[in-house]
Amino acid sequence: MSDRKIPRLLQTPAVVLLLIWMLIPLGMTLYFSFIRYVLNNLRRPEWTTPSLSNWRGFGNYEFVLNSKDFLLAIQNSLFIVGSILFLTVILGVLIAVLINKAFPGQGIVRVLLISPFFVMPAVNAVLWINMILDPVLGLQGLAVDAINSVIDGLQAAPLVGGFFSLWPDFQPISFRATQTSALAVIIMVTWQWTPFAVLIFMTSLQSEDQQQKEAAILDGAGAWSQFRFLTLPHLARPIAIVVMIQAIFHLSLYAEIEIVSRGNGNKNLPYLIGEFANNNIGAASATGIFAVILANIVAIFLLRMIGKTLME
Amino acid sequence: MAIVAHTSRFGKISRPILAWAVGLLFFFPIFWMVLTSFKTDADAVKPEFLIFFTPTLENYLNMTENYDYWRFAQNSVITSVFATLFTLAVGIPCAYAMAFNPSRGTKDILMWMLSTKMLPAAAVLYPMTFLTKSLGLFDTHFMIILVLSLINLPIVVWMLFTYFKEIPKDIIEAGKMDGVNTWGEVTEILIPLAWGGIASTALLCFIFCWNEAYWTVRLTTTEAATLSKLIEGNRAPEGLFFGRLSAVSTAAVGPIVVLGWFCQKQLVQGLTFGAVK
Repeated sequence: MSDRKIPRLLQTPAVVLLLIWMLIPLGMTLYFSFIRYVLNNLRRPEWTTPSLSNWRGFGNYEFVLNSKDFLLAIQNSLFIVGSILFLTVILGVLIAVLINKAFPGQGIVRVLLISPFFVMPAVNAVLWINMILDPVLGLQGLAVDAINSVIDGLQAAPLVGGFFSLWPDFQPISFRATQTSALAVIIMVTWQWTPFAVLIFMTSLQSEDQQQKEAAILDGAGAWSQFRFLTLPHLARPIAIVVMIQAIFHLSLYAEIEIVSRGNGNKNLPYLIGEFANNNIGAASATGIFAVILANIVAIFLLRMIGKTLME
Repeated sequence: MAIVAHTSRFGKISRPILAWAVGLLFFFPIFWMVLTSFKTDADAVKPEFLIFFTPTLENYLNMTENYDYWRFAQNSVITSVFATLFTLAVGIPCAYAMAFNPSRGTKDILMWMLSTKMLPAAAVLYPMTFLTKSLGLFDTHFMIILVLSLINLPIVVWMLFTYFKEIPKDIIEAGKMDGVNTWGEVTEILIPLAWGGIASTALLCFIFCWNEAYWTVRLTTTEAATLSKLIEGNRAPEGLFFGRLSAVSTAAVGPIVVLGWFCQKQLVQGLTFGAVK
């Protein structure tokens, strides 16, 4: 065998496997999205088998676009992903800058901080919703009680008492209720992914130009202007990467949504697809194509950035 | 160093305190879960911040009865180990060829591989369910291993590629001169040289397999169900059973969190596809 053929042969299994993995299911999704295909329909049994004669054109897409749930799911997806990105980036930068310099026990703090990232999503959700956020049995109730008793104490204090007596008595919140379950998901995912952001920002901070920093200090630059004009620009690229990678991951968030509220009032696109897939495969597939388009918008930018560093 | 001399008072006292506070805060939920796992179910739901109590191992000892833990754990181990091995078996030759004999298309293939990773799994939910059921592979170890392998193959190829690139080509060339064939190059030269990189890639792949929670939940019922499925199945407000729920959760994530500590550095590379150095 010639020298050229062997490398190609070695790549073949991986390439072929991934090609099959991508093309067949995605092709089927595309096909199903253009036909009428339901799992149960007594009146129109012919719709229960996929066939070109059930062609529906863009009918499924129209149906999905007109369904109330779709708009809510898109909104909710964007709300959840946007909030998580905002929180993880802000917290990530602050914490990375905080722990980047040597202090006693730095290694241990790093280990403590990174741990949440390795907790499996299902455990994360079960742990938070039951043991921490539950208004009665979780720690939330205790925390709210503690805050209330502190405020009660302060009301009796001289001078400030008048101010604190204006404060309300706080009530624990149920995070399983429809309006708040998205918040629970945001909290638990932020907890899990902030360590990821910290880790990446720290890696990047280590390559920060120290000489430039020293020069800035000699020029009398304060801590804030060092951060603002040196550190933050240096972190621009990792921030962009953290944002894009997380966007792709969180757009397909599923376990947390399922566990917190079973999608009750808190659907995102993957959850909506799952619901449609219980019967209306056409609609599930059309929604799937929308999800692919949404993910691709992010992925194109990400791939372009990664492509630049490749082969260096 | 000049910087040390300029370190403010903040750096000396407040920074460690604040940093430790943040670290402990982030670790607290895990600590609470582990702590609760040693409480009786009655202690676990007491409405007080219970730190000192009589610990019990009951929750761990009864894990088999309460949750059939070991069967799910066994499935997690089997699927994750074999998926990791299979991914490496397919990924090492591929990354080897790409690193040492790159062609014009290599960059495009790598980018394309990554793009498959970015497809939302839910988009192909029904076709996947349909295919696995019609092929008789639903709820089998084989299918879960295959799916886990394919999900992680792009990252594994990518990570191995970046490790292999660091190895000087001359070493492989020298092997060729000595008349070593391709198989020998990989097994006798490449693998021993890149052992550290391969090991951390494998570790990371294993962690991702273990934590996967979409396909392992949607494509299994009982036979091949993993720990993700077990926990997901007990999502309901367990109320009086926080103790045993914590024990089974701790057992499910404990080993992985510890493994994770050892591959923090590789994690950055694996998750950012080498874009952050």
